[in-house]
Amino acid sequence: MENNDKKFEEYLGEFEPRKPRALPELIVHRKVWPRRLAAAAAIAISLGASLSFVRRKNESKSGEIAARNSKSVLEAKSPARPLALLPLTQLALQDPEQLDAQLTAASLRVLPDFRGSDSTLRVLAKE
Amino acid sequence: MGGNKLSAEDVRRLYDQHGPALVAYARGFVTDAAAAEDAVHQVFLRLLSAEIAMPDAPVAYVYRAVRNGALNARRSGLRLVELDPQSSVFQHRGGNQEAALALEKTLAELPEEQREVVVMRVWSGLTLAEIAAAVGAPLNTVASRYRYALEKLRGKLQPWERNENGVMKNGK
Repeated sequence: MENNDKKFEEYLGEFEPRKPRALPELIVHRKVWPRRLAAAAAIAISLGASLSFVRRKNESKSGEIAARNSKSVLEAKSPARPLALLPLTQLALQDPEQLDAQLTAASLRVLPDFRGSDSTLRVLAKE
Repeated sequence: MGGNKLSAEDVRRLYDQHGPALVAYARGFVTDAAAAEDAVHQVFLRLLSAEIAMPDAPVAYVYRAVRNGALNARRSGLRLVELDPQSSVFQHRGGNQEAALALEKTLAELPEEQREVVVMRVWSGLTLAEIAAAVGAPLNTVASRYRYALEKLRGKLQPWERNENGVMKNGK
């Protein structure tokens, strides 16, 4: 009986179930997408960091330039000419202390000097 | 459920090793080979997309899952169709497609618990002890189911079986 079963099992082994169609490539996506996401995140972070660095650098540069401009504007102005308002406003917004220093320096050139022997005040006093 | 996850390669290997037998198994529940294949595919796609944690006994799990999927497909109203030699899930090494169709038909007629034992044993290569663990039945019960199934199959397939001289018993 067992021998018959064995033979019949062998006979059944002559039949093979057909190979079903291949599985779709879903697995590839499953394994790859976290890596892709991580790579995209890394790129976004490094891009953001470099952009903000460049922006900050530009801001500090423009601040320095504005300060330098206002200084040069003040220095270049002749005593008779009025002070330029735009650079001074810019300086007031960015660095009020620097503005005070600039205005003090400018006042020495723009306002009449009271300290010299022939200062306006002394001349007027003699008259 | 063990909670472990099979890698995609493991799932593929499982599919290559047991996919054909699983389709043959599912074929007993649904009436066409394409539906059987779909039922098997759905199970493996769920495994691949990690929708489910991997069970401790993967082979037993996929058999259960395929059975459930195939039963659902049958409930969803597939019509009975005649067996078509082109869509047969079995092929005979000697090219006897008539015998392959007879095998498929006879398998489909077996009680479910007998059919699964035969498919797991003959085409998935599991031992009776492994099958007993997979189906959750005592080993003796599984052995009896297997013996009954073989008897029925032998009765139906006898005409195509070859005798000791290599001649088919139906004289062909």
